[in-house]
Amino acid sequence: MSAALTVLMLFAGAYLVAVLEGWASTGKLRPVGPISSALALLGRESVVPRQPDRIFFEVAPPLLLVAALLAAAVLPLSPGLIVTDLATGALFVNAALAYVMVALLMAGWGPDGAYAMVGGFRFLGQLIAYSMLIVMPITAVTMRAESLFTTEVVESQAALPNAVYQPVGFVAFFVAAMAVAFLPPLDLPTAPGELAGGVMAEYTGWRLAVMRLSRVVLVVTLAAAVSVFYLGGWLGPALPPWAWSAIKTLLVAVAMLLVGRYVPRLRETHVLEWGWKIGIPLALFNIFYVGVLLLVV
Amino acid sequence: MLQAIFTAFFGLAAIWFAVVVFRTHSMVRSALALLFSQAAIGGMFLAMQTEFLGVLQIMMMATEMAIMTIFMVMYMMDPGGLGAMEMTHQKRASQVAGALGALAALAVAFFTSWGPITPEVRPAQQVHDLGIEIMERSMLIFETAGVTILTVMVAATAIAIMRRDEE
Repeated sequence: MSAALTVLMLFAGAYLVAVLEGWASTGKLRPVGPISSALALLGRESVVPRQPDRIFFEVAPPLLLVAALLAAAVLPLSPGLIVTDLATGALFVNAALAYVMVALLMAGWGPDGAYAMVGGFRFLGQLIAYSMLIVMPITAVTMRAESLFTTEVVESQAALPNAVYQPVGFVAFFVAAMAVAFLPPLDLPTAPGELAGGVMAEYTGWRLAVMRLSRVVLVVTLAAAVSVFYLGGWLGPALPPWAWSAIKTLLVAVAMLLVGRYVPRLRETHVLEWGWKIGIPLALFNIFYVGVLLLVV
Repeated sequence: MLQAIFTAFFGLAAIWFAVVVFRTHSMVRSALALLFSQAAIGGMFLAMQTEFLGVLQIMMMATEMAIMTIFMVMYMMDPGGLGAMEMTHQKRASQVAGALGALAALAVAFFTSWGPITPEVRPAQQVHDLGIEIMERSMLIFETAGVTILTVMVAATAIAIMRRDEE
């Protein structure tokens, strides 16, 4: 029951985010945009490139969707509305998101195309730069909750959301989440204009539709993760818990898309350099800072 | 019963992907087959209710094997496998080693007294116990290993930078 509801909410969120993404990239708000472009993609021929690594080519889009869905499975929408409340939920989010990288690596290698391969290996090359900024801020969040249950992480923020309690971790996680979902200023694996679509360059027709759907679901999942770990998830006055989860998730997604609308794409060397030299030390400082707060204050 | 079926399923998947590692000619396929073999072992851990271990295995192997892929593509002359490179070597020795290993595993499975089945420990309790273990009794081991690995990483980076300057 809660699994079906979560998937329903996820796809409803994906639809809204797809509309917003269209607005962020074109400046026009078209509510039927996702439906018409999905129909257009499904109607088109799905071309398979010459000499592909067929297994990787076919597996990559569904694997991306599975990774996003698995990460969403441990994120609560309201106290009872969670697919599975794992005792290692916060760690499981990392584990599922690691397969986003595996899916993009497959999508890059599979089609036997230069742009795709550059995009895939580029995402793998940045792995430490963004994945450390996912893992370490979550560590600090679970330190405060004294639990890896995502529901207890939300409950630990009853007095003060983590975005205020540990702002450094919040910023690091937010940026890293954008990198995992390869959203515009950090959309290096796809990089329209530079890599001509990168990992998505060789996908057409229904395969591209699956790929785009997975990417939008991934954006919703990561926005939900930011909301659960830093904005107090379902906590809030007056409205029912699920409504607070939905509002916060959508607001985070809008914030991510707005950043993409106004910030130009970063250079790969800059992403790597800033991730390693600024991001990782800041994330380590955040763990230390939260530790001091927990022990002393 | 369901637990046994899932454990067996993930076990067989792990073995199958391990076989694929050597059947394929492509370096990338080989590395990712190893990834899914290890992830299937993580699935076995999950089926056997050692939740933390399973999730950790599934997470770590994704990153480790993907990083291995990039090095294999960089250093092998035929990463795509179009030249049909043979992935196995020392066939006789590996057959003997494989047979002996299988016999040893079967012997351990059937001739060892496994003792009484320990009562089921809740996953949250497992996480707690593991944390206490790492932070108390095994702290020195983990810290030593961690600092050693960090030293090696820094040293390797330093060597790489110096060699580039000489060129």
